[in-house]
Order: sequence, then C-alpha cells, then structure tokens
Amino acid sequence: MPPTEDVGTTITNAPGPAPLGEHLRSPSLGAAMLVQQEALYAAREFLRSRGFVELLPPLVGPVTDPGGRGAKALDVDYYGEPYKLMTSAILYKQASLRGFPKLFYIAPNLRVEPPETRHTGRHLVEFHQIDVEMAGASRADVMEIAAELLRHVTARVWETLPEVLSGLGRDPLAFAELLTGKFDACTHAEAVGRLRGHGHAQSADAEIDWTGEEALSREADRPFFITDYPKGSRGFYDREDPDRPGVLRNFDLIAHGGFGELVSGSERESDYATVVTRMRESGENPAKYEWYLAMAREGIPASAGFGMGVQRLIRFLTGLDALWQVSAYPKLPGVIAP
Amino acid sequence: MTTIRTPLAADGLPATAIRARARHGTREVFPPVAAYGAELFGAGSGAGSGADAGHGHADELDRARIVPPVFVPRRLEKLIELGREPLDDDVSLRTVIGGFDSALPLYLSAFGSTRAGSGDLGIAASRQAGRLGIPMVIGENMVPVHGYRTGAGRAAPSAITARIRAYLDECPEGTGGVVVQQSTEDADSEVWNLLYSAPETQPLLESGRLAFELKIGQGAKPGLGGMTVVDEADADRLGKRFAVRDTLGPGSRLRLASPGTYTEEIVRQQLRFMRNNFPRAKVWAKFHPGRDIANAASTAWRAGADAVTVDGAEGGTGWAPRVFLDHVGLPLAECLRRIGRPDGCLLVTGRMWEGGRVVRSLALGATAAGLGRAALVAVDEDPEDGLVRLVEALALESRLLISALGKYTTDALGPDDLWWPDRPTAPDLSTSYGTGTAGPHLTDTATAVAATADRIGGRA
Repeated sequence: MPPTEDVGTTITNAPGPAPLGEHLRSPSLGAAMLVQQEALYAAREFLRSRGFVELLPPLVGPVTDPGGRGAKALDVDYYGEPYKLMTSAILYKQASLRGFPKLFYIAPNLRVEPPETRHTGRHLVEFHQIDVEMAGASRADVMEIAAELLRHVTARVWETLPEVLSGLGRDPLAFAELLTGKFDACTHAEAVGRLRGHGHAQSADAEIDWTGEEALSREADRPFFITDYPKGSRGFYDREDPDRPGVLRNFDLIAHGGFGELVSGSERESDYATVVTRMRESGENPAKYEWYLAMAREGIPASAGFGMGVQRLIRFLTGLDALWQVSAYPKLPGVIAP
Repeated sequence: MTTIRTPLAADGLPATAIRARARHGTREVFPPVAAYGAELFGAGSGAGSGADAGHGHADELDRARIVPPVFVPRRLEKLIELGREPLDDDVSLRTVIGGFDSALPLYLSAFGSTRAGSGDLGIAASRQAGRLGIPMVIGENMVPVHGYRTGAGRAAPSAITARIRAYLDECPEGTGGVVVQQSTEDADSEVWNLLYSAPETQPLLESGRLAFELKIGQGAKPGLGGMTVVDEADADRLGKRFAVRDTLGPGSRLRLASPGTYTEEIVRQQLRFMRNNFPRAKVWAKFHPGRDIANAASTAWRAGADAVTVDGAEGGTGWAPRVFLDHVGLPLAECLRRIGRPDGCLLVTGRMWEGGRVVRSLALGATAAGLGRAALVAVDEDPEDGLVRLVEALALESRLLISALGKYTTDALGPDDLWWPDRPTAPDLSTSYGTGTAGPHLTDTATAVAATADRIGGRA
C-alpha cells in the first residue's frame, strides 16, 4: 500500500497527494514550481536591493525554536548529544546580527505538527520560510518590509508568468488591491472581538485559531496585519511592549481570500534578564539555551524580523487548495510519507 | 593507666540521631537508602527525624468529626424523587474532575519517577484505575529518566506508554482520563510535545480525555524538586539532565531535579502557553502546600486551569529529606482553610486511604481526592484487584457517610458537615479572610478550619 494512500481515502473534500512519483508529474505541481522559482528569485532580488545579505541557515543545533501550537522538534544523535532539527532558525538569526545587521535565509524547517492540522490545508511537517532579520529595526519597519516583499514578489510573478497563473484559474483582479492599496491592520484584541461577534469562540489569550483566521482572511480584499498578540501565545523572543504588559510587539500578515497567515514577525527581546524570565514564562528550562544566553549576556543587538512561509506564499499566488499541492515532497501532519 | 570510655550523655538532645549524623554525615539527612524503592515516604511514614514522626500519625483533617444533622431536608427531596426512603446506595459519587467524567470523586495520583512508582506497581495501578473509570495522573520526570521511545516498538514500550496503554485497555469509554505532568527538566525532553502528536495518545485526545499538568511542587518536599536514588551507572547517564550528588555515601547517588522558578506571572503565562499550544488537552496545575497557596490556586484558575491540585504536606510518595517530611509545608487542612471557597475544580492529596478523609476534604471545598501511597500499597498487596477493592471500600464508606449527612451528591457537602473538638462555641463570623497570605494570624489550625467552614457554608 502506498504510504500516502491513507490521506486520499480519508479526506472527502480534500484529497491528499498521489504516490510521490505521480505527484511529481502532476501539471499543477509543475506550475507551482515555476511560480516558486520565480517568487524566490524575486524575494532575493528585493531583499538584496534593500541591503540584506543572504546566509544559509543551520540544520541542527542543541536547541531550536520551542514548538508552538503542539508542534514538536525532532531529536538527532549528534556525537552522543541530543540535538534538534531546526523548527526555525530564529535564535541563529538573532545571533547572526553580530556580523550581519541585515540578513535573510531561505530556510528549511521541520515541525512535527499534531495530526489534527492535517486537514487545514495550511500545514506541512517540512516547509521553508523566507527568514528576515534587521538590527535596530522597529516593528513598523519590518511590517513595511514584509508588505513590500509581498508586493514585489506578486508583481514579479504576474509579470513573468501570467499564463501560468491564469492557467491555474487565478484572476489578476484578485491581486489589484494588494498591488495598489495600503494594508490594513487590526490588533489581536480587535480580531478576537470580530470573531466573537460572528459567534466564533476565540480565546483572548491564544493564537487566532485556524478556523477564525480563515474566516478573517475570507472577509478581506487585500492582505492585512494582525498586531499585538498576547503574551502566552508566542515564543519568548517576541518582545513584550514595555508600556503595555502582556502585549507583544509582534504581528502576522494575513493573506486575503481565505489563504490565512503568510508572515509572522516581531520586535525581538534582547535583554538578557528579560529573555531568561520569558523562557520561564513559556515553560522552558533556560539551561537548555546555554549558547544563546551566553551570547545574550554579552549582548545581542536589538532587532525586528519575520518569517514568510514559502509554501504558503506559493499557495496564495497559485490559488491551490492545500500546501501539499505546492510542495514537491509533501509531508502531511500525521501521515507517514517518503 | 587505661580508662574505659563511656558514651557522653546529652540529656535533652536526640543523642542517637546526632551520633548517626556523626557517623554517616549527609546520608542521615535522608531516610535509609536500603528502604528506597521498598518503602513509601511522606508525612507520618516514620522516616522523618522529628518528635512527631511515626506511624498512626493523625493530622488536623483527621481530627474533624463528621457530624450528621437530625433534620435532613435534602433526604426529603430525595425521598420525594424516589418515592421511598433513600439509602446509602442512592448517593451518587459520579463527578467531573478537571474536565473528565469520573465514576468516583477519586483519581490516581502521580507517583513520579521513583523506583516504587514507575515499575510494575505503576502499571498495575494504571490498569485498575482504568477499570474503576477514574482519572490517572502520570508523574513528572518519567521521560527524562526512563526515555520515551525504546526503539523496540510495542513489544517493549517505555514506562510512560506502558502505563497509558494499561489504563486505556481497561477504561470504559466516556469516563476517566490521563493527565501527564511536566516539570522543569521534563520541558527539556518536551514530554507534552511528544505526547500531543504520538499515535498512542490520539484516542485520548479524540475523546477529550488527555490533560497536561504543570507540576509546580509536591507535598512531601515543598520548595524542592524530584529526588531519586540511583546507582553509579544511572548517575552517569542522568548527569547531563539532572544534578547528581554524592550525598548518600558510597554506592548510591542522589539525583536532584530543580524545583523550577515561579512567580505569579510565570504561572499565569505557562498555563496560557499550555492552552495555546495544546488546545485539545485539559490543563491542570499542581502546587505544593505553600503559604501563598490561595493566591497560587486563584492565579491558576484565572489563567484557565481546568483543575488545581494541592498536595498537602501529608502528600507525596517520593524520596524526601527527613526534615521536610516532618517540618515543611502546610497541612492539607490549613491549605483548604486558606483557599476557602474554590473558584474552580480543586483536587487534594495527602494520606487519602479511607472514606472519612475524602468526605472531609470534599466538605472543605475539594472536588476529588487523589490516591498516591495508598494506591501503591494496595497494588503491592494484590496487583490484580488490590486498588479496585481499596476503592470499593472507600466508596462504600463515602456513601454511608454522605447518606448519614442527609445528602446524595458529593457537591452537596459543605463545611457545616464537620466539627472540630476545639471549635469555639460561638465562632466570630465577622472575621473576614483575605486570599490567604494577608489573612489574620490564627494560632490554632483547627479553629481556623472551623471558622472557614462557617465562612464558606452554604456552598451547596
């Protein structure tokens, strides 16, 4: 039995990938890979033009970004030491600011997502993100960079591959507002209020859940930001607003049309004592982060940055239903696949 | 000339204990190493060093008498409902414990990673807890100490998966639940993350019967982390994750976990993190009997905890320094006094082995009581049915007592069902208590409990 058949037989409305050899030959994947290639080219072009240097991210380390929303890291035996495969290279991004005040990665990540996320269409165990970090930047600075990056990539893909996008059923009108208008922003509290107004039981302390995020995304005609997530919903490195305890100086960029979150970013916490305290608040044992804390003690530059999900970006551009359709080697949560 | 040396007398001092310390040093701070894994420790275990150490220890909670009234309006209600005189088996013990339906106001407490609790007895207890349809808590440090994946698949499951499977194999659908603790060193092993996507826990998640418990402390050693005795080989293996010390002398090493660092904000945020990261799991928090227990419990409930467990100073199965067993932490009765009327599901542990103690706890605000040492002794007596029989006896006692009080559900119990021998004839009902730490200083715990009983009267 092909290892992925489980998906195809259990999801009624969203069939899963065919066996890998067949999936690789599918016309929609071919189109998506052309879009991905052009999008990555455009992203590099944009970021380099803004003075960012591309580094290659590490794959393993003694720690990685602690799992969020139930996702876990995988352990590897590293000369007898338990090392982690990167769920995100955020800690290395911050450390790298020492030598590279404006940097980016096109980073592979591995998060063993809970099986319940299999049906969201927005989760893969293996994925990539465009990771950007900038020393001395504010949240507003990097929100602007994220918005311009999205505009530049979208414009470039439409310039170079209009027939591919049209062939996938994409209408240029769907991107008109994105390319011309300013992105709206609302706070997490406002988003929670809107969802509750629709009768959706969204927690005020937690991330916007998948259903709620999709609902907000469907209501919009252009991408928009959600800012000020509550502490307790994000990692220890997102900076708490000094004037508003419990509120983080962070943001998500949500695509319109039901495609959901494309970008997560924030101002970063760089003060050593605050980082240690925030680690405890997120249930972490600071001793585990020895190398990072040693560097934070010496001084990590204040910064802001974000990660833009590559597969999510390509799905948004192509309009395909699920992330597995824009991944050459899809690994769905809870599914054993090659 | 030869002098015959006679032992130096020291009236008023425990000379034997001093001499033992002179001979063995830091090893004497702990119960005998030879008893580790063969004996359970906790207040009243006789392993302590103080004057009140010893068997048959009765605490404040035991001293409260259960006092049935003459007039029983609730029985009249039940009589009307049934159309006949109610009896003890008309008492319903079914309740909701931390989000789980339970056949009884009881659950299986955590045993931790000690030798006594994580071997065959732990499995036997899990199987019987499942059969009883009561929730089961799995202790912290199981994964960092015993590992998770053994590499041999189902044939050789790890300690934690073996306990979950034993429980699930017996537990009827729609009742019970599994609660997994995590403390500081477990966070390094990401126990909750491991379990949340593990195939063996999916049936629990899908039926809403998985909870994670933030382990903040334990009754037997408030302010300390987990402690186990390990041999030299295990000491080397565990040394990277835990502190390992030579405190116990040659041949044995003491493995220490950190107690973890908590402030009000850290507790609040950790619970929020749990709710954010594991939305399909229930969230529990367990505290040691600290002097600020009322504030700790209300902080946890406000942060959305489905249950708060308070381990009275009488609680704990683990290895603890003698001085902690005798002298550290508030008795459970005082914890209940300080908490007063609970704002959420309150679970209590500490020497729970008979129905009277459970009923007293329920009357003082608890939703359910945890069986720790008593459960281990019961499965040691009979691995097949020992815990089931112990619980059957305890349930019968509870039904008889609750029925005698003229009540027929556990949540109908209230502080007026109890009386302390030294209770004043006319308690000062005008006394207003704060949230615990700022309350008035009461020199007599029994008086305090009685006064609280009046204050939270009418809970039902």
